[in-house]
Amino acid sequence: MALVQSPPPVASPRIAGSLRLAARQFPRHRAAMVGLICLALICLAAALAPWIAPYDPIQIKLSAKLKPPSFEHWLGTDHFGRDVFSRLLYGGRTSLSVGLLVVGFAFVLGVPLGLASGYFGKRIDNLLMRLVDAFLTFPPLLLAVALVGLLGPEIQNVMLALGLVQAPVLARMVRGSTLAVREDVYVTAARALGAGPARIVLSHLLRNVMSPIVVQLTIVFAAAVVAEASLSFLGFGAQPPQPSWGRDMSEARRFLGDAPWMFLAPTVAIMLCVLSINFMGDGLRDALDPRAWRTRRTVTQAER
Amino acid sequence: MWRYLGRRLIQVPLVLIVVSLMTFLITRATPGDPVQIMLGMQTSPEAAASMRAEFNLDRSLPEQYGLWIAKVVTGDLGRSIRLNDRVTALLAERFPVSLQLAAAAMLFALFVSIPLGVIAALRRNSWIDYLCTGYTVLGFAVPNFGLALILIYVFSIKLDWLPITGIGSSEAAAGGWWTYIRPFIVPAVALGTLQTAMLTRLLRSSMIDVLSQDYMRTARAKGLLPSTIVIVHALKNAMIPFITMVAVQFGYMIGIQVTIEYIFAVPGMGSAVLNAVVTRDFPVIQGFTLVISAFFLFANIVADMLYAMLDPRIRY
Amino acid sequence: MPLLSVRNLKTRFATDRGIVRAVNGVSFDLEEGEILGLVGESGSGKSVTALSIMRLVPEPPGKVTADAMTLDGTDLLGLSEAQAREVRGSSMAMIFQDPMRSLNPVLTIGRQITEVLHRHQKLAGAAARRRAVELLETVGIPMAEKRLGAYPHQFSGGMRQRVMIAIALSCNPRLLIADEATTALDVTIQAQIIDLVKRLTRERGTSVIWISHDLGVVAGLCDRVNVMYAGTVVESGPIRELFRRPSHGYTLGLMGSTPRVDGSSARRLTPIEGMPPNLIDPIPLCPFLPRCRVSVAACQARPPEPRQFGAGHWASCLADLAP
Repeated sequence: MALVQSPPPVASPRIAGSLRLAARQFPRHRAAMVGLICLALICLAAALAPWIAPYDPIQIKLSAKLKPPSFEHWLGTDHFGRDVFSRLLYGGRTSLSVGLLVVGFAFVLGVPLGLASGYFGKRIDNLLMRLVDAFLTFPPLLLAVALVGLLGPEIQNVMLALGLVQAPVLARMVRGSTLAVREDVYVTAARALGAGPARIVLSHLLRNVMSPIVVQLTIVFAAAVVAEASLSFLGFGAQPPQPSWGRDMSEARRFLGDAPWMFLAPTVAIMLCVLSINFMGDGLRDALDPRAWRTRRTVTQAER
Repeated sequence: MWRYLGRRLIQVPLVLIVVSLMTFLITRATPGDPVQIMLGMQTSPEAAASMRAEFNLDRSLPEQYGLWIAKVVTGDLGRSIRLNDRVTALLAERFPVSLQLAAAAMLFALFVSIPLGVIAALRRNSWIDYLCTGYTVLGFAVPNFGLALILIYVFSIKLDWLPITGIGSSEAAAGGWWTYIRPFIVPAVALGTLQTAMLTRLLRSSMIDVLSQDYMRTARAKGLLPSTIVIVHALKNAMIPFITMVAVQFGYMIGIQVTIEYIFAVPGMGSAVLNAVVTRDFPVIQGFTLVISAFFLFANIVADMLYAMLDPRIRY
Repeated sequence: MPLLSVRNLKTRFATDRGIVRAVNGVSFDLEEGEILGLVGESGSGKSVTALSIMRLVPEPPGKVTADAMTLDGTDLLGLSEAQAREVRGSSMAMIFQDPMRSLNPVLTIGRQITEVLHRHQKLAGAAARRRAVELLETVGIPMAEKRLGAYPHQFSGGMRQRVMIAIALSCNPRLLIADEATTALDVTIQAQIIDLVKRLTRERGTSVIWISHDLGVVAGLCDRVNVMYAGTVVESGPIRELFRRPSHGYTLGLMGSTPRVDGSSARRLTPIEGMPPNLIDPIPLCPFLPRCRVSVAACQARPPEPRQFGAGHWASCLADLAP
């Protein structure tokens, strides 16, 4: 039994069908499609930053400092005369790449942990889950601050710190699904002749567990983007003059009244990222759960 | 029930030991010498050595850990390297402030989420429901420090209604309860918005679930007044997961409020740890994170206890 | 003057796939002190009929219409929601199928009884508690005083249903509707609950609508029976008449598929094949036709009209079923 609460599992592995079925359902969810498109655009913009950014993001030009949004500088300039829009694009590269790295790391760390825990059970499970509990008890932001602050602001430390925070939740989820599937398949495997239980569990497992994992990974991605921004905001992530959304917001504090565009741009960028990821996640979750119908019409409307 | 409580309490030290180990390893396995930071580069080797000895930094790692844990068990969290004060004394200064900020944020969250969640559940698919969903979606999406900056811009700079510093300051304490509370308002809203979104969504779905239960049909068949039906029959059931979530979130908040403490210069736990990380003040980092983790653990236990107390079907 | 008069009750629901005609033109009268059985399979519309009378159908997505629906002279359809709330629980009461799910798990039994007394009879405090104890004793719950502070999960199934009955009868309603009230209970408990209801309602002169899919239960309890299928009443008559001379294909089918204790064990049960209609598409002919074993040529040509078969006994069937 867990000492510490974690978010409830997203969809029962039994209900979730194959990803192909879900892929057909997904486009029906308008918000999810909008989210997907928006996210794709953001990622594209960030990836193509070196080619589409109008200015060099770290070029200081004091004569142009603190200019409001205009035709030359779409989102204005900061206190060093640097173009905010360009910094936004480059900052996106940092945030999004960290986000993806964290997702990968959490996956690589959490999934095998959860699988092992659920499959082998008993003492290994107990040990691993106590470890997970301990990690979940640790205040996540402080853990990240401590790790990055003490180890150094290199990107791998950031990835390590944020990934270590997200992996336990993923591990728990995978463990739950594994346990459920193991009960299921154990009986059949016992009856089946010859087929190794490990193979059956693995293939059966992968089909059932993948769906809630995919949804959880979107949550991890959004959380990682925000966490990276928080770290940079506190001064622990990307170092100047490297553009970073969080860092730019921190520097904007002194010019809050005079140049609000400085802090608004990265804030809105973060929000857009998180929103689109969340909508996508919602769409994925609904696509995997076949219970989403509701009638709003009345009899009189229907009779027309 | 007391046996269950006993069992849970026994597990606490085990988890805390792992947490303490983790904190210890993180702080020690990193570059950066606190003594050097404290004393500067020009100091004499003798002064540096004596300071190291004072803080046990010249011993082996397992020894350091053992010594530290032995002291922790007796309630002594050591001394801060930088501030030359007992960690427990620092704790006594900082913990109440963080607690007050968390409480203020939670109060805000409750104030908004309870009516919003209930009404959204009662009037599904109405404009209020959509407003509620929109609010929760935004609440989840905006990072708390971003929201803080927005609020500061609007309420402090443009409108000049609310102050942004002064939490826990002596002037605030001296000037009566409104002067004391004013500086809490903006940080509390910034910190509590995420909680509000989470709790509103929880209460709404909890209520929707409860409202579809058979016993609600019985309540209606009795001809009871709508207020009775909603408050006594529905809410009492829906509140159970809600209240436990409140307890858990409260415990969690202390850990995540560091960005807010940073922006508003709140002399709380988070900012203390922040400074300690920069100056490599190991005892403070270790002691404070241990306390924060313990607090979170206790909040979880309290949440489970509350659940057992509120739901008559559960008896341990 | 009958206590309850229902004329051409229609209840429809808007769904994704169309309008479902759950109740499609139901008419009947209920006399004072009469126990009327409403029999039919799942989806026949019996529960929805009851909910429509109680004004418990959510509108939207439902819509209830009738030419007339009066209880003791009061037009039930014309009541505002506030007025309906006054009538529910006091003049008419309902008990449901699963007492575990029908009682609020976080409120004490005492509270769930006294709140009705408080609401409709303005009883409070000690007076309400006394009355609640009386009621519990009437329905046969021992140590009633102590039980007031207990929660539903601490009672057995039969006891919970007794509590539901106590709640329903607390304000002396004129009409009691029991929707599959014994279906979820053990057979022996069923018999006890049925006896209890019979005794209490006879004593108070309460009229009862007893909904069930179990003909056996109905036979032991009811004065008259309405057989429902696909949202309409297909046969209606005094209990003995109906059993002696079932006059509708569906009624015949029901009796053939009901095991009888007094019958020979060699007799085979004949189930009714097929599925009930979907209630969305209009049904031009007899709704039971696809599953009927005794249909005649005329059934394919025109819908059946109600025909008299005896005093108070009619059925909408074109076939002549010999007794």
